[in-house]
Amino acid sequence: TGGHTTEILRLLSCLSESYSPRHYIFADSDEMSEAKIRSFEQKRSETFSNSQFTLDRIPRSREVRQSWTSSVVTTLYSILYSLPLTYKLKPDLILCNGPGTCVPVCISALLLGLLGVKRAIIVYVESICRVETLSLSGKILYYFSDYFIVQWPDLKEKYPKSVYLGRIV
Amino acid sequence: FRFKDSLAEDLWSADLVISHAGAGSCLETLEKGKPLIVVINEKLMNNHQLELAKQLHRDGHVLCCNCSTLVETLQSMDLSTLKPFPPGQPEKFALFLDKVVGFQ
Repeated sequence: TGGHTTEILRLLSCLSESYSPRHYIFADSDEMSEAKIRSFEQKRSETFSNSQFTLDRIPRSREVRQSWTSSVVTTLYSILYSLPLTYKLKPDLILCNGPGTCVPVCISALLLGLLGVKRAIIVYVESICRVETLSLSGKILYYFSDYFIVQWPDLKEKYPKSVYLGRIV
Repeated sequence: FRFKDSLAEDLWSADLVISHAGAGSCLETLEKGKPLIVVINEKLMNNHQLELAKQLHRDGHVLCCNCSTLVETLQSMDLSTLKPFPPGQPEKFALFLDKVVGFQ
């Protein structure tokens, strides 16, 4: 969604073309991200001729401030949906920055890893908005990601396993 | 206006921006080098939205006030005390990721 998409596209901005093909996954309720992504990829294809990317939508796992019990149900549904998608894409690397949408995808990837189907590296970058506390996605994925990046020093202190590179968006 | 797809044009031509504490608004304004006064309405906001505004204020990049103190802030403000906001560095992320996946 919105700010997350802008942030993640900035994270991608300096990546080499070895990071290809890029598969974007976002919430079905998200109307603006597709346009931003296409615009980013369009500019990219002006520099790198063989740019490849795909877009996929999954059901949104949780609305802002949705209740705990209904969140569990909607997240389970999103996981069921994202499992076949993740299986199809078999990513080597998953990069996410915190929308609820990323949790089911990461959980699917972890399951596929446990089953010996495909082991993806999960890199989580907490949003620049998070200075003192982690988002809910961050709190969950802190334990399940391979690399957990924070953008403010306070968080590095509170979450010692995290990586601090300064502001990267 | 109530909503525009992009505020970029308006931001470029502004001399001063007064905004709510939304992260996108704050960062976009600071990146364009415009002085920013952030108006905080604690009742309307998620606690976490305040985090960024408070940090930016601590670092001297923005002035803060609430709805009732806005006029007073505008009258007594000294924008020269605001520090420039350096851009983020996605290159550092790219370097880090290259090492992680083994491209070097």
